[in-house]
Amino acid sequence: MADATVVKPDLDFVKGVIAAGGESLKKCYQCATCTVVCNVTPDKNPFPRKEMLWAQWGLKEKFQGNPDVWLCHQCNDCTAYCPRGAKPGEVLGAIRKQTIKQYSAPGALVDIVNKKALMPLIFIIPAVLLAVLLSAAGTFKIHEGDVIFSKFASTHFLQFVFTPVLLFGIAVGVMGMRKFWADMKQTNKVYSGDLMASVTATLKDIAGHKKFKECDVSADRFTSHFLVFYGFVAAAIATAIGVLYIDILGLESPFRIGYGTPVKIFGNIGAIGIIVGVILMMSNRFKNAEKLGVGSYFDWLLLSIIAIVGISGFLAQLLRMVSVAPIAYPVYFIHLVFVFSLFLYLPFSKLAHMFYRGAAICFNKYSGREVK
Amino acid sequence: MADKKKVLVIGGGFSGLTAAVETAEAGSDVVIVEKTAFLGGRVAQLNKYFPKLCPPNCGLEINFKRIKNNADITIYTLAEVESISGQEGNFNVTVKLHPRFVNDKCTACNACNEVCPVEMPNEFNYGLDKTKAAYINHNQTFPFTYVIDGKHCKGKACAKCVEVCKYDAIDLDMKPETVSLNVAAIVLATGWESYDISKLDNLGGGRIKNVITNMQMERLASQNGPTGGKILRPSDGKEPKNIAFVQCAGSRDENHLPYCSYICCMASLKQATYLREQYPDSKVSIFYIDMRTPGRYEQFYWKVKDDPGVTLTKGKVAKITEDTKTGDVELVVEDVLANNRITEKYDMVVLAAGMVPSTKDSKIPGEISYTHEGFVVPAFLKKGMFAVGSLKSPVDVARSVQDATGVAIKTIQSSRR
Repeated sequence: MADATVVKPDLDFVKGVIAAGGESLKKCYQCATCTVVCNVTPDKNPFPRKEMLWAQWGLKEKFQGNPDVWLCHQCNDCTAYCPRGAKPGEVLGAIRKQTIKQYSAPGALVDIVNKKALMPLIFIIPAVLLAVLLSAAGTFKIHEGDVIFSKFASTHFLQFVFTPVLLFGIAVGVMGMRKFWADMKQTNKVYSGDLMASVTATLKDIAGHKKFKECDVSADRFTSHFLVFYGFVAAAIATAIGVLYIDILGLESPFRIGYGTPVKIFGNIGAIGIIVGVILMMSNRFKNAEKLGVGSYFDWLLLSIIAIVGISGFLAQLLRMVSVAPIAYPVYFIHLVFVFSLFLYLPFSKLAHMFYRGAAICFNKYSGREVK
Repeated sequence: MADKKKVLVIGGGFSGLTAAVETAEAGSDVVIVEKTAFLGGRVAQLNKYFPKLCPPNCGLEINFKRIKNNADITIYTLAEVESISGQEGNFNVTVKLHPRFVNDKCTACNACNEVCPVEMPNEFNYGLDKTKAAYINHNQTFPFTYVIDGKHCKGKACAKCVEVCKYDAIDLDMKPETVSLNVAAIVLATGWESYDISKLDNLGGGRIKNVITNMQMERLASQNGPTGGKILRPSDGKEPKNIAFVQCAGSRDENHLPYCSYICCMASLKQATYLREQYPDSKVSIFYIDMRTPGRYEQFYWKVKDDPGVTLTKGKVAKITEDTKTGDVELVVEDVLANNRITEKYDMVVLAAGMVPSTKDSKIPGEISYTHEGFVVPAFLKKGMFAVGSLKSPVDVARSVQDATGVAIKTIQSSRR
C-alpha cells in the first residue's frame, strides 16, 4: 500500500508524559470538547484534542516544533468540561515538560529538576558551592554587631557568582528557544514573516497578561501570575538600580541606606508581589483540586522555589532590621541558595516556559495563524 | 391449583403494559399503578419508531385493546406506591390515589376543556405549548377519560366545568385515597426521564428558545403535538430549514451522565428523516463523538448518511449561543477529521438529550439497590421483584418489549410458587 502511514509509537515518550503528571492521558476519547471550550486556541488546527491523540499514540515527532502545547496557558477550561476526566490541561503541562527536556542541555541538570529522587541536589549543589566560595572569601560566618549582609557576601562577590549563573541560565534558555524556533519554522513550513512586529506584539501580550484574561474557570490565575511576574520585574529593577549606583556611578551601596530609596521601594514591592502571588498560585491549585488535580511535582518544585526565594528574602530584611544576627545570616544564606537555584535551573525548570511560551506566541503571530 | 395470585406492575409505559398484558393473559390478576393520568408513557409521546418509521400508536393501541378486553387487569392512574413490605408470594403494598376529579361517566366530549379558564404548561408536549387544567393528553389516549389538574384548577370557586358537563362526570370534591394491595410479585417499570438540559450550561442551559431536546422534536413532529405535526421552531414559528443535532447532550460525560444513552444516535438519524421529508430543501447536520447504531441499526445509519441533505460531522458541540435578534442559534465545534474549529449558525438546534432512569430522583419504596447513576440493579432485587426496560439500562422500545415479555414469565413463575 503506497499510501499507508506507518505509525511509530514512542512508548517511552508516552510513559514520560504519564509520569510527568499526565496520568489521565489515556482516558481521552477524542470528543473535542476541549478544543471548543478553549479560549486561547486558534481555530485552524486547534489544540488540545490533537495533542491528546499524539501523546496517546506516542507520536513524539509531532511535538517537534509544535507551538500549540506552549500556546496553552493551562487555564484548564478544557479539564473542567472534559467528559472523561482526561485533564487535557494537565497533560499538555506534562508534554511541555518533555519539550523543555528535549531542548535543554546539559542533560544532568535536566535530570535534577525532573527526578524527584534527585531533588536534594537542587539545593545541595548551590549550598555547597556558595559555602565553599564564601569560606574562600573568609566571610562565611555569623558576623558580630549590626546585621550587614555585605559583610557576609559582598556586592562584588554576588556579582561575581550570580551574574554568570544567570547568564548561563539565559544562554541555555535562548539556545533552546532558537532550536525550538527553527523546528517550528520547519515543521510548519513558515519561512518568512514580520519578526519585529511579532516580537513587539508578543511582548505587549505578555506585559498585559492578555491570554490569562481569556481563561474562564481559573480566571484568578491572572492576578497571581501578574503579581509574581511583576514582582520579579520590580526585583530586577531594584538590582539594576544597585548596579547603577555601585558600578556605574561609583556611589555607596544603596541596599544599606534608608527605607524610602528607589531600591528599597522596588525591592519590597517585588518581594510582596512574589510572596502574595505565589501563595495565590498555591491556594488556587487547592481550590480547583477536585476537578483539576493539584498539579505535578514539576509545578510544585517551581512554586516552592519561588515561595522560598520571596519569603527568605523578605524575612532576611526583617531580621536585619531587628538585628538578630544568628538567624539573619542563615536566612540570608538560604535566600542566596534559592536564588542561585532559580537562576541555575531557569532553562530546565518550569520557569523555562518564559522562553518557549514566548517563542510560541511570537511564532503564532509571525506565521499569521493568530486571527484574533 | 393455587389461587390466581396477584401481580403488581409499577409504571404504565410500554414496558409495564407489556409485562402486564402478558402476565394477565397467562391467567394472573394484574394491577397497574401509573403515576400520571394516562397510560403509554414515553412511547405515547413519540412520532415514529426507528428503524421502521411506523407510528407508535399501532403498538400502543393493540396493548390498550388487550387491556380493555381483559377483566383481570385493574388500572390505577394518578397513583403512587407509598410502601412495599413482605416477600415473594406475600407483598403488602400501599398505593396513594390522587383525585382525578372526573369519574367513569366521562364521554370525552371536551366541553369541560372548552370552558376551563386555566392554562398551564403542557407536560405531555414538554412545555412547548399550554393546555387547559381540564384535559386529555392526546386524542387516542387511554383511559379515554378527562382529568382535572389538581394543582392548577381553581376548584369550586370556578366550577365552570361542572356546570357544562352533561354527564355528571365531574366531582371537584374527590379526595385522595389510599388502597392496600396484597400481591405475590412486583414488576418495576417506572421508565426514564429526559436529561435536564438546564444542567448543560455550555449548551445554552435550556435558556435558548430554538434549542430543543430530542423528545421535544418528537412532539413537534407528531400529529397530536403542539403544531399538528408541522415542524416549526419555537421562537417565531418559522420553518427551520437548517438544523443541527448535537449528540451526547449529557451522555458519555462524567459531569452529567457517565454512560451512553443508547438510543440518541438512532433518534437523531430518525428525526433527520422527519425534517428531510417535511422540508425537502432543508439541511441537517449531525455532530457526534461516535455514531452508535448497534446491530442491524447500522443499515438505517447508511440510509440516512446517503441523503445528500444530511451531513455527519465528527466532533462534540461544546458551545451554543443565541443570536437574540434573529433567534438563530450559533454553535462551536471542532470538525475533528479536518482538525478545524468551526462556528456555524442554524435555524434550530436539537440536543440529543440522554436517558435518566426515573429512579435517579424518585426512588421506589422498599429495599432496592441502585447504581450511582440511579439504575436498578436487578441482581440485588428481592425474590419476587423484577425490573424491566429502561430502569436497568438505557434501551430502545423494541428491547424494552422483549425484556418485559421475558420478565412476564419470571413473574408468572414467581407468583405461582
